[in-house]
Amino acid sequence: MSPIDRRMFYHVNWPLIWIIGGLFLVGVLNLYSASGVRLGDGMQVENFYQKQLIWGLMGLLGMAAFMTFDYRRLSAVAWPLYAVTLIFLLAVPFAGKTISGARRWLDFGLFSFQPSELAKFAVLLVGARLLSEEGERLGLKELSFVLLLGFVPALMIIKQPDLGTGMLVLLLLGGLVLYRGIKPWLFRTLCVVVPTLTPLLWFVLKDYQKRRILAFLDPATDPLGSGYHILQSEIAVGSGRLFGKGFLAGTQSQLRFLPEKHTDFAVAVFGEEWGFFGMMVLLSLFCAFLYQIASVARDAKDPFGSYLAAGVFFYFFWQILINMGMVMGLMPVVGVPLPFVSYGGSATLVNFGLVGLVLNVSMRRFLFKQT
Amino acid sequence: MKNLLSKPGQPAPRMGAGLLQFLVLALFCLFAVRLWYLQIHLGPVFTEKSRNNQLRTEYIFAPRGFLRDRNGELLAVNEPAFALGLVREDCDDIEATLTKVSEWSGIPLERLKEVYQRNKPKVKSFEPLTLVPDMDYDLIAKVEGSAVRWPGLEIISRTRRKYNYGQLLAHILGFVGEANEAEMQADASLSLGDFVGKQGLENKFDARLRGAKGRRMIEVDVTGRRLSEELQREPKAGEEIFLSIDLSLQQLGHKALEGKTGAVVVMDPDTGEIHAMVSEPSYDSNAFTAGLSAAQWAELRDNPAHPLQNRATQGVYPPGSVFKLVMAADALSENAIDPSETVQCAGELALGNHVFRCWKRGGHGTVNLQRALVESCDVYFYKLGARLGVDRVSAFAKAAGFGTPTGVDLPHEKSGLIPSREWKMKRYGVRWTKGEDLNLGIGQGYTGVTPLQVARFIAALINGGKVMKPLLIRGETPQQLASLPMSAEAAAIVKRDMVATVEDPRGTCHRILTSGVLVGAKTGSAQVVRLTDELKRMGDAVPYKYRDHAWMAGFAERGNRRFVVVALVEHGMHGASGAGPVVKTMIDALFMGKKELPPQDTAGVEGPASPAARLNAVETQFPEPAAAETPEAQEAPEKPAPADKEAPQ
Repeated sequence: MSPIDRRMFYHVNWPLIWIIGGLFLVGVLNLYSASGVRLGDGMQVENFYQKQLIWGLMGLLGMAAFMTFDYRRLSAVAWPLYAVTLIFLLAVPFAGKTISGARRWLDFGLFSFQPSELAKFAVLLVGARLLSEEGERLGLKELSFVLLLGFVPALMIIKQPDLGTGMLVLLLLGGLVLYRGIKPWLFRTLCVVVPTLTPLLWFVLKDYQKRRILAFLDPATDPLGSGYHILQSEIAVGSGRLFGKGFLAGTQSQLRFLPEKHTDFAVAVFGEEWGFFGMMVLLSLFCAFLYQIASVARDAKDPFGSYLAAGVFFYFFWQILINMGMVMGLMPVVGVPLPFVSYGGSATLVNFGLVGLVLNVSMRRFLFKQT
Repeated sequence: MKNLLSKPGQPAPRMGAGLLQFLVLALFCLFAVRLWYLQIHLGPVFTEKSRNNQLRTEYIFAPRGFLRDRNGELLAVNEPAFALGLVREDCDDIEATLTKVSEWSGIPLERLKEVYQRNKPKVKSFEPLTLVPDMDYDLIAKVEGSAVRWPGLEIISRTRRKYNYGQLLAHILGFVGEANEAEMQADASLSLGDFVGKQGLENKFDARLRGAKGRRMIEVDVTGRRLSEELQREPKAGEEIFLSIDLSLQQLGHKALEGKTGAVVVMDPDTGEIHAMVSEPSYDSNAFTAGLSAAQWAELRDNPAHPLQNRATQGVYPPGSVFKLVMAADALSENAIDPSETVQCAGELALGNHVFRCWKRGGHGTVNLQRALVESCDVYFYKLGARLGVDRVSAFAKAAGFGTPTGVDLPHEKSGLIPSREWKMKRYGVRWTKGEDLNLGIGQGYTGVTPLQVARFIAALINGGKVMKPLLIRGETPQQLASLPMSAEAAAIVKRDMVATVEDPRGTCHRILTSGVLVGAKTGSAQVVRLTDELKRMGDAVPYKYRDHAWMAGFAERGNRRFVVVALVEHGMHGASGAGPVVKTMIDALFMGKKELPPQDTAGVEGPASPAARLNAVETQFPEPAAAETPEAQEAPEKPAPADKEAPQ
């Protein structure tokens, strides 16, 4: 059959497309403001929003590309892609490029990319493939195997160091495991064991990561050091009050009190300028977005499609939770961007690609099995 | 893999479909509540914090008002000064920089560190922290020369108070200094490094002199760069104040007292304006603005001559015979005597089992009030003291303003002391004795007055009984604080007798006779200690610290110009010779345009009777009080003295 059946266009999930279109435009608009710096009477705007717009258009193409083929083919690619990812990750410590203290990049001359981005996708595919296979809830053996598949790349990423992405890989897999369900006795055991062992992680963390956690617990201890990010972010969001200070009128962002304001803390700019009202609109958009993906997972024709959509769901869910939680002072500072709102080229491409994948699953939900 | 995870025939469970929807709902609720809490509930708090981030208040210096004398001569001005500041943000190595500054300036490193640590919390990291408040040119050159190698060091230009006549007016002007913690607490408009008046008029009129700092709201970004500014309040320069002091008269008084210890006050009796008020020895106001070292301060504080004390307002002395004017005015006002009534002075007066001596061994013979004042007869006033009694005398003296501060605009004025029966009982637990009435009559005993109080009393004698507030500001509205309970006739008689004291060749004040000017005066000598026989035999060779204080209080008038002049010379021995020349100098300057000192007296030329008088003074046998020195009357005699010693010409 041709990769694109005409009938499928009738089933394209337009609401999901409208929602991410809306989210992306809000993000670019906010980025315009977040890139601005007031100098005296005038204002200087850096061109992040233009770049983001270009990345977004490329992302749309990527999204379309991800809709063209039958997603079920990805099942066959899962393991080879996982293997390639591990090789790349192994290569990073030796051949990687160091940018601002972290060795995350592989340079291929024409372009450079982060194997960790690939790792998210590989783990998503492997997880979906493994867990979508028939069976009952997971026992200890199965769970250990699945988690091992996640821990290998995750630890390699965390070593780079990139705690945010490493955690995201693990959380994505963890989400899929929950989606599948584990045996009740195991679930209960884990409910006890995990919280008990978590404090041991403390000894694994690097000093700057420990400081961030301490600063999160009590930002006032070091308002100019690690607590600064949280404090300034809370001030930005809080001072927005009901309707915000107005577009381009945020003082925390325009006067640069807010750090990382076009990347990790971009949504704080939005909160400052649009207030509670704007934030509720944005939050509703994100929730509608997640709800649409959850519906696709529920309605998918086959388990693999369902797990793919669920994986994408968790991929976005965790980022939204961690990033917005951090901006609102509910989470420690972890370098996780907010999808469609934070500036980032490859992240935007990946985000659109993954939405394409969900659309792919969605539009094929009524097709009959063809083999 | 198939073996591990799948069991044929069973579909992969999708427990998660409900889970995902639940997670979306949970996310929404969590963030919605948190946003409500941050933006609505805590919104005002964060709005305030955001304003604090964005807006800085900057103060604009307001120049302190100049001080001028009554003729416009500049007494206190502002001059440029340079301070060394450290901008922490720009400094690479605080420790090394402080060490270098210590090496350049000679200030110990520990002291610099202490200053640094103390001010660090109060100064923002991009603002200069003052390390050296006042740099000399040598230090400025050193800092300028190596500014590149020591980033963060900054020369701050500011102004410093400069007193053009630091020594001459220290007791009146006082000085300014950097506001301390307590002052900043009390006055919110003061901030670190601001100058406030610490002493004298600088202190009393601080609010007027200081003006009001201007205020600017500055919008800054995170690096502290200014983006915009808005002037919220123009700085208001401090008010210029014209003193009532006449600089040249003040200078002359200073010269007249040079080398002595004492005070002179020249006052306009009708307005209360003070034209000169000198206290010697003095100190230099400028030393305080430049910042006094601990050693310099200790030297000033512990100096036995007490240069910090303003003797005109803070020096409390027994009035001696000057008090006879109070006695006369009181007695005449109450019709207790007839001016023509005479008393026999045989050189002594017996009361009970002790004898009160007149300073003149042989006695004055028959004296009426005028002669008693002119020759300062003690026996006459012993009798008057006995006749009036302490109750009436102290009531009148208090009405004349003694025993309470004059209210002059200088800090820490002393009130002096007028004794009463109640006071003595309370203070010593002993009853007032009749003998003490006698001593009170000649101004010895517990009584303590300041030169300014005396000047104000003399003013009241000649201005119709108005007890004025002494004023230090030119043209200030005169304030009558009280009225002397004195009849016009009584005032006229006392005034006439004061003039006689000057004009009569036998008068104790004859030496200040000035042609063409109506001058009236009265001398006094205040006993410092009860003289022992041994000291008495020494006569004028008595050690300096045991010598009597010399008073002369008088007035001079010609046409409608009149002035009160009061001089006190510590240990000056005799009113006429000790304080007289000072008074004469002032009168000459006021009326004769003479700005020079009269020829110097040579010691011992005047008052040949004086040593004899001293020798003949009888030790009193009054019970000695436990602690005869009252807190106010530092210079009060240890116990009531029996006699006044005057040296007639």
